[in-house]
Amino acid sequence: MRSQTRGIAIGVLVGLVWTVGKVSVPKLVQLAIDHGIEVRDQGAITRWALIIGAAGVLSATFTGLRRYYAFREARWSEAVLRDRMFAHLQRLHFSFHDEAQTGQLMSRANTDLQQVQNFIVLIPLTISNGVTVLAVTVILVRTNWLLALLALGTLPLVNVFAKRFSTRLHPTMVAVQQESAELAGVVEETVSGVRVVKGFGAEPTQQARLAKEADDLYEAAMEATRIRARYWPALELLPNLGLVAVLAYGGHLVLDGRLQLGELVAFNAYVVLLIWPLRMLGMIVAQSQRAAASAQRVHEVLATEPVIVDPPRPVALPPGGGEVRFEQVRFGYGGGATVLDGFDLVVAPGESVALVGATGSGKSTVAKLIPRFYDVDGGRVCIDGVDVRQAPVRDVRRAVGLVFEETFLFSDSIANNIAFADPDASAQAIERAARLAGADEFIRQLPEGYAAEIGERGYSLSGGQRQRIAIARAILADPRILILDDATSAVDPTKEHEIRDALTEVMKGRTTIVIAHRPATIALADRVVLVDRGRVAATGTHDELLAASARYRSVLAAASLTSDAERTDAERASDAAGADVPGADVPGADVPGADVSVVD
Amino acid sequence: MWSMAGVSEEDQLDREAATRVLRRIWRFLRPYRLQLRLALALIVVYTLATLGGPYLVKRGIDRGIKAGDAGALDAAVIAYLVVAALGFLANRFQVVLVGRVGEGFLRDLRVRVFDHLQRLSMPFYDREKAGVVVSRMTSDVDSLQELVQMGLLQFVSSALLIVLSVVVLAIVSWQLMLICLIPLPFVILASVKFQRDSNRAYLSVRDRIGMMLSSLQEGITGVRVIQAYTREDVEVGRFGRRNRTLYDAHMRSVRIQAWYLPVIELAGLGTTALVVGIGGWMVTRDIVTVGTIAFFVLSLSNLFEPVQQLSQLFNQVQSAGAGLNKLFGLLDTAVDIPERPGAVDLPPSGVVEVAAVSFAYGAGAPVLRDVDLAIEPGERLALVGPTGAGKSTLAKLIARLYDPTEGRITFGGVDLRDATLASLRQRITVVPQEGFLFNGTIRNNVRIARAGATDAEVDAAMEVIGVRERFLGLADGLDTEVRERGTRLSAGEKQLVSLARAALADPAVLVLDEATSSLDPGTEALVERALERLMEGRTVVVIAHRLATSERADRVGVVDEGRLVELGTHADLRDAGGRYAALYETWVRGLART
Repeated sequence: MRSQTRGIAIGVLVGLVWTVGKVSVPKLVQLAIDHGIEVRDQGAITRWALIIGAAGVLSATFTGLRRYYAFREARWSEAVLRDRMFAHLQRLHFSFHDEAQTGQLMSRANTDLQQVQNFIVLIPLTISNGVTVLAVTVILVRTNWLLALLALGTLPLVNVFAKRFSTRLHPTMVAVQQESAELAGVVEETVSGVRVVKGFGAEPTQQARLAKEADDLYEAAMEATRIRARYWPALELLPNLGLVAVLAYGGHLVLDGRLQLGELVAFNAYVVLLIWPLRMLGMIVAQSQRAAASAQRVHEVLATEPVIVDPPRPVALPPGGGEVRFEQVRFGYGGGATVLDGFDLVVAPGESVALVGATGSGKSTVAKLIPRFYDVDGGRVCIDGVDVRQAPVRDVRRAVGLVFEETFLFSDSIANNIAFADPDASAQAIERAARLAGADEFIRQLPEGYAAEIGERGYSLSGGQRQRIAIARAILADPRILILDDATSAVDPTKEHEIRDALTEVMKGRTTIVIAHRPATIALADRVVLVDRGRVAATGTHDELLAASARYRSVLAAASLTSDAERTDAERASDAAGADVPGADVPGADVPGADVSVVD
Repeated sequence: MWSMAGVSEEDQLDREAATRVLRRIWRFLRPYRLQLRLALALIVVYTLATLGGPYLVKRGIDRGIKAGDAGALDAAVIAYLVVAALGFLANRFQVVLVGRVGEGFLRDLRVRVFDHLQRLSMPFYDREKAGVVVSRMTSDVDSLQELVQMGLLQFVSSALLIVLSVVVLAIVSWQLMLICLIPLPFVILASVKFQRDSNRAYLSVRDRIGMMLSSLQEGITGVRVIQAYTREDVEVGRFGRRNRTLYDAHMRSVRIQAWYLPVIELAGLGTTALVVGIGGWMVTRDIVTVGTIAFFVLSLSNLFEPVQQLSQLFNQVQSAGAGLNKLFGLLDTAVDIPERPGAVDLPPSGVVEVAAVSFAYGAGAPVLRDVDLAIEPGERLALVGPTGAGKSTLAKLIARLYDPTEGRITFGGVDLRDATLASLRQRITVVPQEGFLFNGTIRNNVRIARAGATDAEVDAAMEVIGVRERFLGLADGLDTEVRERGTRLSAGEKQLVSLARAALADPAVLVLDEATSSLDPGTEALVERALERLMEGRTVVVIAHRLATSERADRVGVVDEGRLVELGTHADLRDAGGRYAALYETWVRGLART
């Protein structure tokens, strides 16, 4: 990181040179008038004019430099802080991210840092502005203190008004943005829900809602306008009052021979010169308050310590077959209601286990504790005999491959998404993983194949396709423990059959934990574990449990209602084409085999 | 202080388009013309007052101080005071007036554009991407907002200030005026270059902010996957590089400002030097007075600063023009499904008749060909067939979300195209596959179906299909706010709201797109029951995805490749050995497998 003190120091220095140039000009004009023009000395006039020109070059050069250095440092701090914030967020534990809203974190790293940036810009600018005000005051007081008082008397009010203006205007601007966002919300949902609106003829309802939002926005904007109208003209009037006073009192002083004409002109010029520095000094007070609030919010994030960290003396995870052991595990999210209580389970190396349970039974939580996304509240979770809290986090995460219930893919090529765990993976390895996940076929059908970009600016894939890529990603990581959390829920059942066959191969030689509803998927596992109310309620093969456990039967019965069994192939295809997505109901998506649609 | 805006090259308006946009704005401003004229007059007063100050200082010096006339000096002082007060008042009222006109214009524009969007029908929404449509109402209008808030006023007064300064300076001393004009060509050249460069720099900053933000968002929403695969370091590096390109773009823009600013400053101070040097010589030759020198020195800032402001505002104005051009383009989009003059209300009930209907989306291949079908009142018809066969298109035509390309669809003998839109939506209601929720309470979400419905009517509608109970358990019952697209409700519960809407609309014909996605077990049964009650006594056209649904229907229609290939009862078709029988076969096999 570059040292910023030096940059800011240069900025301040440059600003001071600018001040010298800027402040000298009215004085030079005064000397030119009094010692050149008034005494009709052509040589002196030319000399003073040249000096004014030189001062102009100085002031002009340094006004550019002053701006350059001020902004360079401010933008640099902004960039550095944003990098730090991002790096910190990457290290923060799951439970932090569970609580935090994406939008909030985004605004910390964007709007708040912008506010801090605005403030840093002002540091060197403010120093030179302050010196300018001081220098001008000294010059004027030395010329004639009473006239100086009259000329500058109103100017502190400029400062006060500018601060108050900025303070009052800010909340109204926020309100305008808020109203603007609400209006955008109505537009956005009306467009996404256009089928509902048209279907029920609800256009007038939506029009009325929008008209109301437009009125609210108008009111908010007018409030901002009224504040502008109250302060802005006053800010312009105040220096004029000073100028009137200068002409009135100073004019008489000149008439009485107690002040020179050039001095009067210089007074005028100085009052004009001070307007902007004073306005900016007012604004910085308001700006600093906002920046302080923003800095506080940024600090809150940076001050949050990551909870899931390496132990002081980590024990390397020994090589092993991937034995997973839960001993009397107790756990609740964020100290809330207990999800797991007295959970005991041993999964032997290479064994495959299906976790079955009703919604909220805690089966997904079990999956998330193995790679240490959360720390248990009681008991312990071990991989190959080592408590996951004793081993380096990196080792644990590398040992476990978890395919999440909700698929998250990155805006990148498909190949890079699959090779997420190992960016250097060969094309063969990537294709093999895709094949095993049942993704190879549809990827090859894309015009760019594995190089196809997905996400915001690329192809939009169906839920099932996305899940298959996520599975390929986990396969490529080659973990000793593979966990599939409902990872094939959106996969078309005919395709799931293929994946099931492939998964049997993947599962060879590694521990696998599958969370599933579909009996066919459950059948993949050597053993079924029924999770109920945070404990293992029963364990055995699918058939054994069907015969022995009423609870198991009821859980499966509820789940089978949601199964896709009774749907036609055609409808599955339509599902896969993303026909459920609002706006995807375009003619193009209606074509058979349109498994992929391009979105902007 | 340094407002930024920009417009990409392809959006820049040519002279002709600009004239068109201006003319259109003028028409839009009709209700505000009086206020606008008043505002312009006030801007002129304000600008003259700004110029008046230095001029009165000159008078005070020449007529008062130099002439030794204290009275004349005092007169100048009083005049200055009056001028300053006038300027203050003019300034104050112009800000309010311009705000009122500008914000009013924006409000009208928003409402007009949205109303038009609401009149546009499904084919429009099929053609246009949702994001683009939304951006018309958001970013395009917002690009105007900033201009209206401060820019427009500055733009006009800066331009006026330059013109009036030149005039007044020329009146006082045309010779010195000419001297002041010396740097002007350089200033204009620099300003043009600055305007172009800063526009480009702005666009690049905007793009990179967008890239940085999407990178940031991905890093936050994908943090679990990143941590699961221990990719934190790689992602931090990637983000750092993005962030660095943003910094570079910012710095390019700063460098552009850093060379332009000195040009303006030098023009002002250099001219001061010229005025003092040459003007001083002219004073010694009695061509001008010393007051004139003072006047010029004090007025120079009025000449060059506005040039700088104009060059900045120019980008803003251009971008606003581009935004308006797009908005006006949208307003000019013709409504596809208009209500005919002399349209009649649909009768309360009747046969739905599809006669020789063909349909194609836009200029595309026909999706439906020669479909004939009559659905009796109270009949339940299931449409089945492969994806893309045209069954959902047929359903949409029956609800007149589209008009057939050929043939006609009637309800109770009235062509749907001759019906009033209000009666059409009342008689025929579409229930989409997914329950789409709007921000607001559950009750208001149901009320979408009939704007004037009382709370009691909404409750009754929910009661009829047996879903009211389900929501009473929520914290605020039916007044619970659903936020962010109803993330607080399950898919099944959203579906229930959707069905309640249909119950409230109480249509004669119900067009249903059966949900394909799985629902949570708890709600599934409730949805089934509500659906059953909703269908009672109505004509129903359902796009069936489940065997059970087509089994229960009075008749089944099989749509394939745009034609209605089979039509009959479930039992008849199953035994006939055709398409439906084959489909039935797959269904049953699918059931057996799991």
